[in-house]
Amino acid sequence: MASPSVPETSGSERVGTRVDVARQARIARWKAVAYSVFGAVSFLVAWQIASGFTRTEFDLLPGPLEVLQRMGEYTFGNEAERIASGWVFLNFWETFRKTLYGFAGALVLGVPIGILMGRYRYAKNFFFDFVYLAANVPLIVYAILGLLIFGIGDTGPAFVVGLLVLPVITLNVAAGVEGVDQRLLAMSRSFGLSSRTALRHIVVPSLSPFLFAGSRASFAASWKLAALAETFGGTTGVGVQIRKAFQGFSVTDMLAWMMFFVIFVLIVERIILMRLERWVFRYRLKRGEDILRF
Amino acid sequence: MSTVRTLVRETPAINMGDGIIAVLRNDRVARWTSRLVLLALWQVAGLLSQRFPTPVETVEILVREFQTPFDRGEWSAANNELVQNLWISIQRTGIAVFLVILIGLPIGYLMGRWWRVQAYFTDLVTVLLAMPAYMWALLAVMWFGFGMRAPVFTAVVSAVPGLIVHVLQGSLAIPRDLRDMSDAFDVPGATRLRHLALPSMSGAIIAGIRLSIIAAWGCVVLVEWFGSNEGAGFRARDWYQSAANYNGLMAWGIVVLVVVIIFDRGIIERIDRAVHKWRGAVGDFGAAKVAVNDSTQEG
Repeated sequence: MASPSVPETSGSERVGTRVDVARQARIARWKAVAYSVFGAVSFLVAWQIASGFTRTEFDLLPGPLEVLQRMGEYTFGNEAERIASGWVFLNFWETFRKTLYGFAGALVLGVPIGILMGRYRYAKNFFFDFVYLAANVPLIVYAILGLLIFGIGDTGPAFVVGLLVLPVITLNVAAGVEGVDQRLLAMSRSFGLSSRTALRHIVVPSLSPFLFAGSRASFAASWKLAALAETFGGTTGVGVQIRKAFQGFSVTDMLAWMMFFVIFVLIVERIILMRLERWVFRYRLKRGEDILRF
Repeated sequence: MSTVRTLVRETPAINMGDGIIAVLRNDRVARWTSRLVLLALWQVAGLLSQRFPTPVETVEILVREFQTPFDRGEWSAANNELVQNLWISIQRTGIAVFLVILIGLPIGYLMGRWWRVQAYFTDLVTVLLAMPAYMWALLAVMWFGFGMRAPVFTAVVSAVPGLIVHVLQGSLAIPRDLRDMSDAFDVPGATRLRHLALPSMSGAIIAGIRLSIIAAWGCVVLVEWFGSNEGAGFRARDWYQSAANYNGLMAWGIVVLVVVIIFDRGIIERIDRAVHKWRGAVGDFGAAKVAVNDSTQEG
Protein backbone atom coordinates (compact mmCIF):
# COMPACT_ATOMS: atom_id res chain seq x y z
CA MET A 1 0.00 0.00 0.00
CA ALA A 2 1.12 3.56 -0.49
CA SER A 3 2.75 4.95 2.59
CA PRO A 4 0.76 7.86 3.92
CA SER A 5 2.71 11.02 4.50
CA VAL A 6 4.27 11.53 7.85
CA PRO A 7 2.60 14.28 9.86
CA GLU A 8 4.51 17.50 9.83
CA THR A 9 6.24 18.63 12.94
CA SER A 10 6.14 22.32 13.62
CA GLY A 11 9.32 24.37 14.02
CA SER A 12 9.44 24.41 17.82
CA GLU A 13 9.10 20.63 18.06
CA ARG A 14 12.03 20.14 15.79
CA VAL A 15 14.46 21.45 18.37
CA GLY A 16 15.72 18.64 20.56
CA THR A 17 18.14 15.78 20.75
CA ARG A 18 18.45 13.31 17.93
CA VAL A 19 16.75 10.62 19.98
CA ASP A 20 13.73 12.85 20.43
CA VAL A 21 13.48 13.52 16.72
CA ALA A 22 13.65 9.85 15.88
CA ARG A 23 11.03 9.01 18.48
CA GLN A 24 8.71 11.71 17.25
CA ALA A 25 9.06 10.53 13.69
CA ARG A 26 8.19 7.01 14.78
CA ILE A 27 5.13 8.17 16.70
CA ALA A 28 4.06 10.27 13.75
CA ARG A 29 4.31 7.29 11.42
CA TRP A 30 2.27 5.15 13.78
CA LYS A 31 -0.37 7.84 13.94
CA ALA A 32 -0.55 7.93 10.14
CA VAL A 33 -0.88 4.15 9.98
CA ALA A 34 -3.58 4.23 12.63
CA TYR A 35 -5.57 6.77 10.65
CA SER A 36 -5.28 4.81 7.45
CA VAL A 37 -6.35 1.58 9.16
CA PHE A 38 -9.24 3.49 10.66
CA GLY A 39 -10.14 4.68 7.15
CA ALA A 40 -10.10 1.16 5.71
CA VAL A 41 -12.11 -0.28 8.60
CA SER A 42 -14.72 2.47 8.39
CA PHE A 43 -15.32 1.68 4.72
CA LEU A 44 -15.66 -2.02 5.44
CA VAL A 45 -18.20 -1.24 8.14
CA ALA A 46 -20.08 1.02 5.73
CA TRP A 47 -20.14 -1.84 3.21
CA GLN A 48 -21.50 -4.24 5.84
CA ILE A 49 -24.23 -1.82 6.87
CA ALA A 50 -25.18 -1.10 3.25
CA SER A 51 -25.44 -4.82 2.53
CA GLY A 52 -27.88 -5.20 5.42
CA PHE A 53 -30.21 -2.66 3.82
CA THR A 54 -30.38 -4.15 0.35
CA ARG A 55 -31.44 -7.71 1.02
CA THR A 56 -33.77 -8.93 -1.65
CA GLU A 57 -34.18 -12.42 -3.01
CA PHE A 58 -31.33 -11.62 -5.42
CA ASP A 59 -28.75 -10.78 -2.76
CA LEU A 60 -27.79 -7.53 -4.46
CA LEU A 61 -24.94 -6.53 -2.15
CA PRO A 62 -23.41 -9.37 -0.14
CA GLY A 63 -21.38 -8.37 2.90
CA PRO A 64 -17.56 -8.46 3.07
CA LEU A 65 -17.52 -11.80 4.93
CA GLU A 66 -19.63 -13.53 2.32
CA VAL A 67 -17.28 -12.30 -0.40
CA LEU A 68 -14.29 -13.42 1.64
CA GLN A 69 -15.78 -16.89 1.97
CA ARG A 70 -16.33 -17.04 -1.79
CA MET A 71 -12.70 -15.99 -2.33
CA GLY A 72 -11.68 -18.82 -0.04
CA GLU A 73 -13.66 -21.29 -2.14
CA TYR A 74 -12.02 -20.07 -5.32
CA THR A 75 -8.60 -20.43 -3.74
CA PHE A 76 -8.90 -23.73 -1.87
CA GLY A 77 -11.64 -25.37 -3.89
CA ASN A 78 -15.16 -26.43 -3.07
CA GLU A 79 -16.25 -30.02 -3.62
CA ALA A 80 -19.97 -29.31 -3.60
CA GLU A 81 -19.82 -26.67 -6.37
CA ARG A 82 -17.07 -28.42 -8.29
CA ILE A 83 -14.56 -25.61 -7.97
CA ALA A 84 -11.05 -26.96 -8.29
CA SER A 85 -8.53 -25.87 -5.71
CA GLY A 86 -6.25 -23.13 -7.02
CA TRP A 87 -8.90 -22.12 -9.56
CA VAL A 88 -8.05 -18.47 -9.12
CA PHE A 89 -4.35 -18.99 -9.84
CA LEU A 90 -5.15 -20.95 -12.98
CA ASN A 91 -7.28 -18.13 -14.37
CA PHE A 92 -4.91 -15.37 -13.37
CA TRP A 93 -2.04 -17.21 -14.97
CA GLU A 94 -3.94 -17.43 -18.27
CA THR A 95 -4.60 -13.67 -18.28
CA PHE A 96 -1.09 -12.91 -17.11
CA ARG A 97 0.36 -14.93 -19.97
CA LYS A 98 -1.55 -12.87 -22.52
CA THR A 99 -0.47 -9.65 -20.85
CA LEU A 100 3.14 -10.79 -21.03
CA TYR A 101 2.86 -11.59 -24.75
CA GLY A 102 1.40 -8.15 -25.33
CA PHE A 103 4.18 -6.49 -23.33
CA ALA A 104 6.85 -8.44 -25.18
CA GLY A 105 5.39 -7.43 -28.54
CA ALA A 106 5.21 -3.80 -27.50
CA LEU A 107 8.84 -3.88 -26.37
CA VAL A 108 10.07 -5.46 -29.59
CA LEU A 109 8.24 -2.91 -31.71
CA GLY A 110 8.32 0.08 -29.37
CA VAL A 111 12.01 0.32 -28.51
CA PRO A 112 13.25 0.70 -32.13
CA ILE A 113 10.48 3.19 -32.96
CA GLY A 114 11.27 5.11 -29.79
CA ILE A 115 14.97 5.26 -30.65
CA LEU A 116 14.13 6.51 -34.14
CA MET A 117 11.76 9.12 -32.70
CA GLY A 118 14.35 10.36 -30.27
CA ARG A 119 17.05 10.49 -32.90
CA TYR A 120 15.41 11.77 -36.10
CA ARG A 121 13.09 14.70 -36.49
CA TYR A 122 11.31 13.05 -39.39
CA ALA A 123 10.56 9.88 -37.42
CA LYS A 124 9.28 11.98 -34.56
CA ASN A 125 6.78 13.74 -36.80
CA PHE A 126 5.89 10.59 -38.67
CA PHE A 127 5.10 8.42 -35.66
CA PHE A 128 3.63 11.09 -33.45
CA ASP A 129 0.02 10.66 -34.52
CA PHE A 130 0.22 6.90 -34.25
CA VAL A 131 1.46 7.22 -30.72
CA TYR A 132 -1.02 9.92 -29.81
CA LEU A 133 -3.89 7.90 -31.22
CA ALA A 134 -2.84 4.67 -29.55
CA ALA A 135 -2.53 6.43 -26.21
CA ASN A 136 -6.00 7.95 -26.31
CA VAL A 137 -8.14 5.06 -27.52
CA PRO A 138 -10.73 4.15 -24.87
CA LEU A 139 -10.34 0.60 -23.58
CA ILE A 140 -13.70 -0.46 -24.96
CA VAL A 141 -12.62 0.52 -28.48
CA TYR A 142 -9.51 -1.65 -28.05
CA ALA A 143 -11.68 -4.52 -26.88
CA ILE A 144 -13.95 -4.06 -29.91
CA LEU A 145 -10.90 -3.97 -32.17
CA GLY A 146 -9.57 -7.21 -30.73
CA LEU A 147 -12.94 -8.85 -31.23
CA LEU A 148 -13.14 -7.55 -34.80
CA ILE A 149 -9.71 -8.61 -35.97
CA PHE A 150 -9.29 -11.92 -34.17
CA GLY A 151 -12.83 -12.93 -33.28
CA ILE A 152 -13.42 -15.24 -30.34
CA GLY A 153 -10.07 -16.52 -29.12
CA ASP A 154 -6.96 -15.71 -27.15
CA THR A 155 -4.94 -13.76 -29.70
CA GLY A 156 -7.18 -10.68 -29.47
CA PRO A 157 -6.47 -9.86 -25.80
CA ALA A 158 -2.69 -10.20 -26.25
CA PHE A 159 -2.78 -8.07 -29.39
CA VAL A 160 -4.72 -5.19 -27.85
CA VAL A 161 -2.54 -5.19 -24.74
CA GLY A 162 0.41 -4.72 -27.09
CA LEU A 163 -1.35 -1.80 -28.76
CA LEU A 164 -2.07 -0.22 -25.39
CA VAL A 165 1.47 -0.51 -24.07
CA LEU A 166 3.18 0.47 -27.32
CA PRO A 167 2.79 4.27 -27.01
CA VAL A 168 4.03 4.24 -23.42
CA ILE A 169 7.17 2.31 -24.36
CA THR A 170 7.76 4.34 -27.51
CA LEU A 171 7.41 7.78 -25.97
CA ASN A 172 9.44 6.90 -22.92
CA VAL A 173 12.27 5.51 -25.01
CA ALA A 174 12.12 8.56 -27.27
CA ALA A 175 12.31 10.90 -24.30
CA GLY A 176 15.19 8.89 -22.90
CA VAL A 177 17.12 8.96 -26.16
CA GLU A 178 16.52 12.67 -26.53
CA GLY A 179 17.63 13.28 -22.99
CA VAL A 180 20.98 11.55 -23.43
CA ASP A 181 23.76 13.88 -22.33
CA GLN A 182 25.31 15.04 -25.58
CA ARG A 183 28.51 16.11 -23.85
CA LEU A 184 29.02 12.60 -22.54
CA LEU A 185 28.54 11.25 -26.04
CA ALA A 186 31.00 13.78 -27.45
CA MET A 187 33.51 12.85 -24.77
CA SER A 188 33.11 9.15 -25.39
CA ARG A 189 33.78 9.82 -29.06
CA SER A 190 36.89 11.86 -28.43
CA PHE A 191 38.24 9.16 -26.13
CA GLY A 192 37.66 6.62 -28.86
CA LEU A 193 34.98 4.51 -27.21
CA SER A 194 33.22 2.11 -29.51
CA SER A 195 29.60 2.98 -30.16
CA ARG A 196 28.60 -0.28 -28.51
CA THR A 197 30.29 0.74 -25.28
CA ALA A 198 28.73 4.18 -25.51
CA LEU A 199 25.34 2.59 -26.00
CA ARG A 200 25.80 0.32 -23.02
CA HIS A 201 27.18 2.90 -20.62
CA ILE A 202 25.56 6.16 -21.69
CA VAL A 203 22.41 5.60 -23.68
CA VAL A 204 20.92 2.62 -21.86
CA PRO A 205 21.39 4.02 -18.32
CA SER A 206 19.73 7.28 -19.27
CA LEU A 207 16.92 5.46 -21.00
CA SER A 208 16.06 2.67 -18.59
CA PRO A 209 14.49 4.72 -15.79
CA PHE A 210 12.02 6.17 -18.28
CA LEU A 211 11.26 2.74 -19.66
CA PHE A 212 10.82 1.23 -16.25
CA ALA A 213 8.54 3.97 -14.99
CA GLY A 214 6.44 3.76 -18.14
CA SER A 215 6.06 0.01 -17.95
CA ARG A 216 5.08 0.05 -14.33
CA ALA A 217 2.57 2.82 -14.94
CA SER A 218 0.92 0.90 -17.75
CA PHE A 219 0.86 -2.45 -16.00
CA ALA A 220 -2.47 -1.91 -14.25
CA ALA A 221 -4.09 -0.54 -17.39
CA SER A 222 -2.83 -3.42 -19.55
CA TRP A 223 -4.07 -5.94 -17.03
CA LYS A 224 -7.51 -4.33 -16.98
CA LEU A 225 -7.61 -4.33 -20.76
CA ALA A 226 -6.59 -7.99 -20.98
CA ALA A 227 -9.48 -8.96 -18.70
CA LEU A 228 -11.91 -6.74 -20.59
CA ALA A 229 -10.89 -8.20 -23.94
CA GLU A 230 -11.36 -11.68 -22.49
CA THR A 231 -14.82 -10.77 -21.33
CA PHE A 232 -15.63 -9.61 -24.85
CA GLY A 233 -14.27 -12.53 -26.76
CA GLY A 234 -11.87 -14.70 -24.77
CA THR A 235 -12.00 -18.40 -24.06
CA THR A 236 -9.80 -18.58 -20.94
CA GLY A 237 -8.75 -16.33 -18.10
CA VAL A 238 -10.17 -13.98 -15.49
CA GLY A 239 -12.30 -12.08 -17.99
CA VAL A 240 -14.20 -15.25 -18.90
CA GLN A 241 -14.92 -15.97 -15.23
CA ILE A 242 -16.18 -12.42 -14.83
CA ARG A 243 -18.42 -12.85 -17.84
CA LYS A 244 -19.84 -16.03 -16.31
CA ALA A 245 -20.49 -14.22 -13.02
CA PHE A 246 -22.35 -11.51 -14.93
CA GLN A 247 -24.40 -13.92 -16.98
CA GLY A 248 -25.25 -15.91 -13.85
CA PHE A 249 -26.24 -12.65 -12.12
CA SER A 250 -24.01 -13.40 -9.14
CA VAL A 251 -22.85 -10.27 -7.37
CA THR A 252 -20.91 -12.35 -4.84
CA ASP A 253 -18.79 -13.98 -7.55
CA MET A 254 -18.26 -10.63 -9.23
CA LEU A 255 -17.09 -8.96 -6.03
CA ALA A 256 -14.85 -11.93 -5.22
CA TRP A 257 -13.13 -11.67 -8.62
CA MET A 258 -12.86 -7.93 -8.19
CA MET A 259 -11.09 -8.34 -4.86
CA PHE A 260 -8.70 -10.90 -6.35
CA PHE A 261 -8.04 -8.44 -9.11
CA VAL A 262 -7.20 -5.65 -6.69
CA ILE A 263 -4.96 -7.90 -4.61
CA PHE A 264 -3.10 -9.08 -7.70
CA VAL A 265 -2.57 -5.61 -9.16
CA LEU A 266 -1.43 -4.21 -5.82
CA ILE A 267 0.99 -7.06 -5.19
CA VAL A 268 2.58 -6.80 -8.62
CA GLU A 269 2.58 -3.03 -8.90
CA ARG A 270 3.28 -1.86 -5.38
CA ILE A 271 5.41 -4.66 -4.06
CA ILE A 272 7.19 -6.49 -6.87
CA LEU A 273 7.66 -3.77 -9.50
CA MET A 274 8.26 -0.98 -7.04
CA ARG A 275 10.85 -2.98 -5.05
CA LEU A 276 12.51 -4.01 -8.28
CA GLU A 277 12.62 -0.44 -9.53
CA ARG A 278 14.01 0.80 -6.23
CA TRP A 279 16.67 -1.89 -6.30
CA VAL A 280 17.67 -1.37 -9.92
CA PHE A 281 17.95 2.38 -9.51
CA ARG A 282 19.19 2.40 -5.93
CA TYR A 283 22.31 4.33 -6.93
CA ARG A 284 20.28 7.33 -8.00
CA LEU A 285 17.89 7.55 -5.07
CA LYS A 286 18.53 10.20 -2.49
CA ARG A 287 18.12 9.19 1.11
CA GLY A 288 14.46 9.15 2.13
CA GLU A 289 13.27 9.73 -1.40
CA ASP A 290 10.66 7.35 -2.69
CA ILE A 291 9.88 6.43 -6.25
CA LEU A 292 6.17 6.43 -6.14
CA ARG A 293 3.40 7.39 -3.90
CA PHE A 294 0.26 6.79 -5.88
CA MET B 1 -0.63 17.30 -20.60
CA SER B 2 -1.86 17.70 -24.07
CA THR B 3 0.50 20.35 -25.26
CA VAL B 4 1.45 18.07 -28.12
CA ARG B 5 0.46 20.75 -30.61
CA THR B 6 3.55 22.76 -29.76
CA LEU B 7 5.49 20.21 -31.75
CA VAL B 8 3.96 21.40 -34.96
CA ARG B 9 3.99 25.06 -34.25
CA GLU B 10 7.54 25.91 -35.22
CA THR B 11 7.19 24.21 -38.55
CA PRO B 12 9.32 25.92 -41.19
CA ALA B 13 7.40 27.05 -44.25
CA ILE B 14 7.50 24.84 -47.30
CA ASN B 15 9.68 26.30 -49.98
CA MET B 16 9.12 24.77 -53.39
CA GLY B 17 12.66 25.58 -54.39
CA ASP B 18 13.87 23.03 -51.86
CA GLY B 19 13.28 20.04 -54.05
CA ILE B 20 10.96 17.11 -53.54
CA ILE B 21 12.98 15.38 -50.81
CA ALA B 22 13.10 18.50 -48.68
CA VAL B 23 9.37 19.00 -49.09
CA LEU B 24 8.67 15.42 -48.07
CA ARG B 25 10.86 15.85 -45.03
CA ASN B 26 8.99 18.92 -43.89
CA ASP B 27 7.36 18.45 -40.47
CA ARG B 28 3.81 19.00 -41.57
CA VAL B 29 4.19 16.85 -44.66
CA ALA B 30 5.66 14.11 -42.49
CA ARG B 31 2.62 14.18 -40.23
CA TRP B 32 0.23 14.00 -43.17
CA THR B 33 2.24 11.20 -44.74
CA SER B 34 1.81 9.19 -41.57
CA ARG B 35 -1.95 9.82 -41.54
CA LEU B 36 -2.23 8.65 -45.13
CA VAL B 37 -0.16 5.58 -44.34
CA LEU B 38 -2.50 4.80 -41.45
CA LEU B 39 -5.51 5.10 -43.75
CA ALA B 40 -3.84 2.87 -46.33
CA LEU B 41 -3.05 0.28 -43.66
CA TRP B 42 -6.68 0.34 -42.57
CA GLN B 43 -7.77 -0.18 -46.18
CA VAL B 44 -5.41 -3.12 -46.65
CA ALA B 45 -6.51 -4.68 -43.36
CA GLY B 46 -10.12 -4.28 -44.43
CA LEU B 47 -9.52 -5.95 -47.76
CA LEU B 48 -7.60 -8.83 -46.23
CA SER B 49 -9.91 -9.58 -43.31
CA GLN B 50 -13.33 -11.17 -43.43
CA ARG B 51 -14.73 -9.13 -40.57
CA PHE B 52 -12.66 -5.96 -40.47
CA PRO B 53 -14.35 -3.28 -42.62
CA THR B 54 -12.57 -0.85 -44.94
CA PRO B 55 -12.75 2.92 -44.31
CA VAL B 56 -15.35 3.34 -47.06
CA GLU B 57 -17.65 0.69 -45.57
CA THR B 58 -17.30 2.34 -42.17
CA VAL B 59 -18.31 5.75 -43.50
CA GLU B 60 -21.17 4.19 -45.46
CA ILE B 61 -22.73 2.68 -42.38
CA LEU B 62 -22.39 5.96 -40.50
CA VAL B 63 -24.25 7.72 -43.29
CA ARG B 64 -26.94 5.05 -43.02
CA GLU B 65 -27.14 5.63 -39.28
CA PHE B 66 -27.57 9.32 -39.96
CA GLN B 67 -30.42 8.63 -42.39
CA THR B 68 -32.32 6.30 -40.04
CA PRO B 69 -34.82 8.11 -37.82
CA PHE B 70 -34.29 7.54 -34.11
CA ASP B 71 -36.66 5.08 -32.44
CA ARG B 72 -39.09 5.02 -35.41
CA GLY B 73 -39.82 8.73 -34.98
CA GLU B 74 -39.78 11.54 -37.49
CA TRP B 75 -36.40 12.00 -39.21
CA SER B 76 -34.59 15.30 -38.82
CA ALA B 77 -30.96 16.34 -38.76
CA ALA B 78 -31.08 16.10 -34.97
CA ASN B 79 -33.39 13.12 -34.64
CA ASN B 80 -31.56 10.14 -36.12
CA GLU B 81 -29.72 7.14 -34.78
CA LEU B 82 -26.28 8.74 -35.06
CA VAL B 83 -26.92 12.07 -33.38
CA GLN B 84 -29.46 10.94 -30.75
CA ASN B 85 -27.45 8.00 -29.44
CA LEU B 86 -24.33 10.12 -29.31
CA TRP B 87 -26.18 12.91 -27.54
CA ILE B 88 -27.56 10.52 -24.90
CA SER B 89 -24.06 9.25 -24.11
CA ILE B 90 -22.65 12.77 -23.97
CA GLN B 91 -25.40 13.88 -21.58
CA ARG B 92 -24.67 10.97 -19.28
CA THR B 93 -20.97 11.76 -19.39
CA GLY B 94 -21.68 15.40 -18.57
CA ILE B 95 -23.69 14.55 -15.47
CA ALA B 96 -21.06 12.06 -14.35
CA VAL B 97 -18.20 14.53 -14.80
CA PHE B 98 -20.08 17.15 -12.80
CA LEU B 99 -20.39 14.71 -9.90
CA VAL B 100 -16.77 13.57 -10.27
CA ILE B 101 -15.51 17.12 -9.92
CA LEU B 102 -17.88 17.82 -7.05
CA ILE B 103 -16.52 14.83 -5.11
CA GLY B 104 -12.91 14.57 -6.26
CA LEU B 105 -11.79 18.19 -6.07
CA PRO B 106 -12.50 18.81 -2.35
CA ILE B 107 -11.23 15.40 -1.24
CA GLY B 108 -8.01 15.78 -3.22
CA TYR B 109 -7.40 19.26 -1.90
CA LEU B 110 -8.10 18.30 1.70
CA MET B 111 -5.82 15.27 1.40
CA GLY B 112 -2.99 17.57 0.46
CA ARG B 113 -3.86 20.06 3.18
CA TRP B 114 -4.17 17.75 6.21
CA TRP B 115 -2.21 14.58 6.70
CA ARG B 116 -5.05 13.04 8.73
CA VAL B 117 -7.38 13.26 5.73
CA GLN B 118 -4.70 11.87 3.48
CA ALA B 119 -4.01 8.93 5.76
CA TYR B 120 -7.73 8.24 6.11
CA PHE B 121 -8.40 8.05 2.36
CA THR B 122 -5.11 6.49 1.23
CA ASP B 123 -6.21 2.85 1.35
CA LEU B 124 -9.54 3.53 -0.29
CA VAL B 125 -8.01 5.48 -3.18
CA THR B 126 -5.29 2.86 -3.69
CA VAL B 127 -7.84 0.07 -3.87
CA LEU B 128 -10.23 2.01 -6.11
CA LEU B 129 -7.38 2.82 -8.52
CA ALA B 130 -6.65 -0.88 -8.91
CA MET B 131 -10.28 -1.76 -9.67
CA PRO B 132 -11.13 -2.11 -13.34
CA ALA B 133 -13.88 0.17 -14.59
CA TYR B 134 -15.62 -2.54 -16.51
CA MET B 135 -16.27 -4.65 -13.43
CA TRP B 136 -17.96 -1.64 -11.91
CA ALA B 137 -19.91 -1.41 -15.15
CA LEU B 138 -21.13 -5.00 -14.79
CA LEU B 139 -21.99 -4.52 -11.12
CA ALA B 140 -23.82 -1.28 -11.89
CA VAL B 141 -25.90 -3.00 -14.55
CA MET B 142 -26.86 -5.71 -12.05
CA TRP B 143 -27.65 -3.14 -9.37
CA PHE B 144 -29.39 -0.41 -11.30
CA GLY B 145 -30.53 -2.01 -14.54
CA PHE B 146 -31.09 0.08 -17.66
CA GLY B 147 -31.28 3.84 -17.52
CA MET B 148 -29.30 6.76 -16.27
CA ARG B 149 -28.04 5.57 -12.90
CA ALA B 150 -25.76 2.71 -13.96
CA PRO B 151 -23.53 4.72 -16.36
CA VAL B 152 -23.30 7.70 -14.02
CA PHE B 153 -22.45 5.51 -11.03
CA THR B 154 -19.74 3.62 -12.92
CA ALA B 155 -18.16 6.79 -14.27
CA VAL B 156 -18.11 8.41 -10.84
CA VAL B 157 -16.59 5.41 -9.07
CA SER B 158 -13.93 4.93 -11.73
CA ALA B 159 -12.99 8.54 -12.41
CA VAL B 160 -12.97 10.01 -8.90
CA PRO B 161 -9.78 8.27 -7.64
CA GLY B 162 -7.78 9.47 -10.65
CA LEU B 163 -8.93 13.05 -10.13
CA ILE B 164 -8.16 12.83 -6.41
CA VAL B 165 -4.59 11.74 -7.11
CA HIS B 166 -4.06 14.63 -9.53
CA VAL B 167 -5.56 17.24 -7.23
CA LEU B 168 -3.63 15.81 -4.29
CA GLN B 169 -0.38 16.19 -6.17
CA GLY B 170 -1.31 19.75 -7.11
CA SER B 171 -2.27 20.48 -3.54
CA LEU B 172 1.05 19.14 -2.28
CA ALA B 173 2.79 21.44 -4.76
CA ILE B 174 1.49 24.56 -3.04
CA PRO B 175 4.67 26.09 -1.62
CA ARG B 176 4.70 25.48 2.10
CA ASP B 177 6.54 28.63 3.05
CA LEU B 178 4.00 30.75 1.18
CA ARG B 179 1.23 28.93 3.02
CA ASP B 180 2.93 29.56 6.35
CA MET B 181 3.45 33.18 5.43
CA SER B 182 -0.21 33.69 4.58
CA ASP B 183 -1.02 32.12 7.93
CA ALA B 184 1.26 34.59 9.66
CA PHE B 185 -0.14 37.58 7.81
CA ASP B 186 -3.78 36.51 8.14
CA VAL B 187 -4.43 36.46 4.41
CA PRO B 188 -8.17 35.91 3.84
CA GLY B 189 -9.24 32.58 2.36
CA ALA B 190 -10.51 33.96 -0.95
CA THR B 191 -7.26 35.79 -1.68
CA ARG B 192 -5.31 32.73 -0.70
CA LEU B 193 -7.34 30.59 -3.06
CA ARG B 194 -7.02 33.09 -5.90
CA HIS B 195 -3.34 33.88 -5.61
CA LEU B 196 -1.79 30.83 -3.98
CA ALA B 197 -3.83 27.64 -4.28
CA LEU B 198 -5.24 27.97 -7.80
CA PRO B 199 -2.06 29.09 -9.59
CA SER B 200 -0.02 26.24 -8.12
CA MET B 201 -2.76 23.69 -8.69
CA SER B 202 -4.16 24.72 -12.08
CA GLY B 203 -1.96 22.40 -14.13
CA ALA B 204 -2.79 19.39 -11.99
CA ILE B 205 -6.49 20.25 -11.92
CA ILE B 206 -6.74 20.60 -15.69
CA ALA B 207 -4.84 17.35 -16.21
CA GLY B 208 -7.09 15.63 -13.69
CA ILE B 209 -10.31 16.91 -15.20
CA ARG B 210 -9.17 16.02 -18.71
CA LEU B 211 -8.49 12.50 -17.55
CA SER B 212 -11.76 12.20 -15.68
CA ILE B 213 -13.75 13.34 -18.71
CA ILE B 214 -12.05 10.80 -20.96
CA ALA B 215 -12.46 8.10 -18.31
CA ALA B 216 -16.12 8.98 -17.74
CA TRP B 217 -16.79 8.81 -21.47
CA GLY B 218 -15.21 5.38 -21.68
CA CYS B 219 -17.19 4.14 -18.68
CA VAL B 220 -20.50 5.41 -20.02
CA VAL B 221 -19.94 3.66 -23.33
CA LEU B 222 -18.92 0.48 -21.49
CA VAL B 223 -22.06 0.41 -19.37
CA GLU B 224 -24.16 1.03 -22.44
CA TRP B 225 -22.51 -1.94 -24.08
CA PHE B 226 -23.33 -4.27 -21.20
CA GLY B 227 -26.76 -2.98 -20.32
CA SER B 228 -28.68 -0.16 -21.93
CA ASN B 229 -31.23 0.37 -24.64
CA GLU B 230 -29.84 3.60 -26.01
CA GLY B 231 -26.50 5.37 -26.42
CA ALA B 232 -23.32 4.87 -28.41
CA GLY B 233 -22.22 1.70 -26.61
CA PHE B 234 -25.66 0.11 -27.00
CA ARG B 235 -25.67 0.86 -30.71
CA ALA B 236 -22.27 -0.82 -31.19
CA ARG B 237 -23.45 -3.89 -29.36
CA ASP B 238 -26.75 -3.92 -31.19
CA TRP B 239 -25.03 -4.07 -34.57
CA TYR B 240 -22.71 -6.78 -33.35
CA GLN B 241 -25.21 -9.01 -31.57
CA SER B 242 -28.54 -8.67 -33.23
CA ALA B 243 -27.28 -8.11 -36.77
CA ALA B 244 -23.78 -9.65 -36.63
CA ASN B 245 -22.79 -6.54 -38.55
CA TYR B 246 -19.09 -5.86 -37.98
CA ASN B 247 -19.16 -2.65 -40.00
CA GLY B 248 -21.60 -1.12 -37.55
CA LEU B 249 -19.45 -2.26 -34.62
CA MET B 250 -16.36 -0.68 -36.15
CA ALA B 251 -18.22 2.50 -37.09
CA TRP B 252 -19.41 3.12 -33.55
CA GLY B 253 -15.96 2.30 -32.18
CA ILE B 254 -14.57 5.00 -34.46
CA VAL B 255 -17.25 7.46 -33.36
CA VAL B 256 -16.36 6.87 -29.70
CA LEU B 257 -12.70 7.45 -30.50
CA VAL B 258 -13.35 10.58 -32.56
CA VAL B 259 -15.28 12.15 -29.68
CA VAL B 260 -12.23 11.72 -27.44
CA ILE B 261 -9.87 13.23 -30.00
CA ILE B 262 -12.11 16.19 -30.78
CA PHE B 263 -12.53 16.87 -27.10
CA ASP B 264 -8.83 16.57 -26.33
CA ARG B 265 -7.44 18.43 -29.32
CA GLY B 266 -10.21 20.97 -29.70
CA ILE B 267 -11.16 21.91 -26.17
CA ILE B 268 -8.70 20.85 -23.51
CA GLU B 269 -5.62 21.99 -25.38
CA ARG B 270 -7.08 25.43 -25.91
CA ILE B 271 -8.01 25.81 -22.26
CA ASP B 272 -4.63 24.57 -21.17
CA ARG B 273 -2.85 27.00 -23.44
CA ALA B 274 -5.02 29.91 -22.32
CA VAL B 275 -4.52 29.16 -18.62
CA HIS B 276 -0.80 28.60 -18.90
CA LYS B 277 0.07 31.40 -21.29
CA TRP B 278 2.50 32.83 -18.78
CA ARG B 279 4.42 29.62 -18.67
CA GLY B 280 5.30 29.54 -22.34
CA ALA B 281 5.27 26.46 -24.50
CA VAL B 282 6.41 23.28 -22.83
CA GLY B 283 6.90 21.45 -26.04
CA ASP B 284 8.65 18.28 -26.92
CA PHE B 285 8.55 14.88 -25.39
CA GLY B 286 8.48 16.04 -21.80
CA ALA B 287 4.87 17.11 -22.04
CA ALA B 288 3.71 14.36 -24.36
CA LYS B 289 5.39 11.71 -22.27
CA VAL B 290 3.59 12.92 -19.18
CA ALA B 291 0.34 12.80 -21.14
CA VAL B 292 0.90 9.19 -22.10
CA ASN B 293 2.19 7.98 -18.74
CA ASP B 294 -0.68 9.83 -17.23
CA SER B 295 -3.34 7.88 -18.99
CA THR B 296 -4.33 5.65 -16.12
CA GLN B 297 -6.84 4.59 -18.77
CA GLU B 298 -10.08 3.83 -17.08
CA GLY B 299 -12.89 2.79 -19.28
